[in-house]
Amino acid sequence: MIKKAFSILILLAAFSCQNAEELKSEQYFAEGYQLYTTNCANCHQADGKGMANLYPPLTGSKLISDKETMACIIRYGMKDTILVNGKSFNRPMPANSKLQELEIAEIITYVNMKWGKDSLYTPISVVTKALVNCQK
Amino acid sequence: MPDLKFKVYYSASVIILLIAFTLQSCDSSSKKLPILGERDWVTKKVDGKEIVDTIYNTIPPFSFTNQYGETVTEKIVEGKIYVTDFFFTSCPTICPVMKKEMNKVYKEFKGNPELMILSHTIDPEHDTPQVLNTFAKDLGVEGNQWQFLTGPKENIYAIGQKSYLSAAQEDKTAEGGFLHSGAFILIDKEKHIRGMYDGTTDEGTQKLMKDIRILLDEYKK
Repeated sequence: MIKKAFSILILLAAFSCQNAEELKSEQYFAEGYQLYTTNCANCHQADGKGMANLYPPLTGSKLISDKETMACIIRYGMKDTILVNGKSFNRPMPANSKLQELEIAEIITYVNMKWGKDSLYTPISVVTKALVNCQK
Repeated sequence: MPDLKFKVYYSASVIILLIAFTLQSCDSSSKKLPILGERDWVTKKVDGKEIVDTIYNTIPPFSFTNQYGETVTEKIVEGKIYVTDFFFTSCPTICPVMKKEMNKVYKEFKGNPELMILSHTIDPEHDTPQVLNTFAKDLGVEGNQWQFLTGPKENIYAIGQKSYLSAAQEDKTAEGGFLHSGAFILIDKEKHIRGMYDGTTDEGTQKLMKDIRILLDEYKK
């Protein structure tokens, strides 16, 4: 009897835990959508398809799943030529020094849940760790 | 009782007629676009009679360099209507949206010899003809219908502020370093401003394309 109750408890805990994760993912996604619209959509467009040969698409890009690189590019911008879906782009992307780590995590979450394969959020710790490394 | 019924019908039909009339007069007046900007009046004597003449805000002659390195003056828009705006290629804010919207106008009227687009850079130090050339190519623009213009900063700012009634200036506090309006400005063959539109929205662009057709129709008579 006790054993049964215990396993039910564990199941319940696991279930609510997953719910919390999902809830957090939804929050990150919603916040990320807002941030993407204000900070990214001008160039990369609301549909993530970029613009002609001027601004690269995010949809179909392998780079968006490389979250460390993505965090660095969002925070510090980039100047190099980048190859996306077989096309090269060389317009500089401006830095977004005002974006907090949480906000960067939310943007990465939105992009990867919307156009990547993610079904859960990207935690801040990923961004924090990445930003330490790219500063060098 | 039948009298009252008649009265009701009568007044209802009068109201309907009035509405129809108002709608129609609205419609016919919207077929012609207004002339925008400050105007002045002069009195002239013609055949001994005093005549009041209106002087409208007119775009003065200009001389800039386009994306092919060619000198472009007001002659390029002679006998044409045109849409103009202000931007810079490294702009992180509204310019990409404006160029996306202007691209709709470009695609819609591509090849129409009566319509041109003149986009002025407000950052001529960075946006040389060569930079503009690459930008135009990357945007998918070829040929002469859409001109990307650069030139002395003072001249660009002056024509923007005084003639096109559009803000264009350097501002270190603005994102990207320049302040400019997101307006698309429609100019007729007489060099008068006939409309200003929000170049950062699809609604603004749709209105512009509608007005371009209305303006082109004015010259068909």
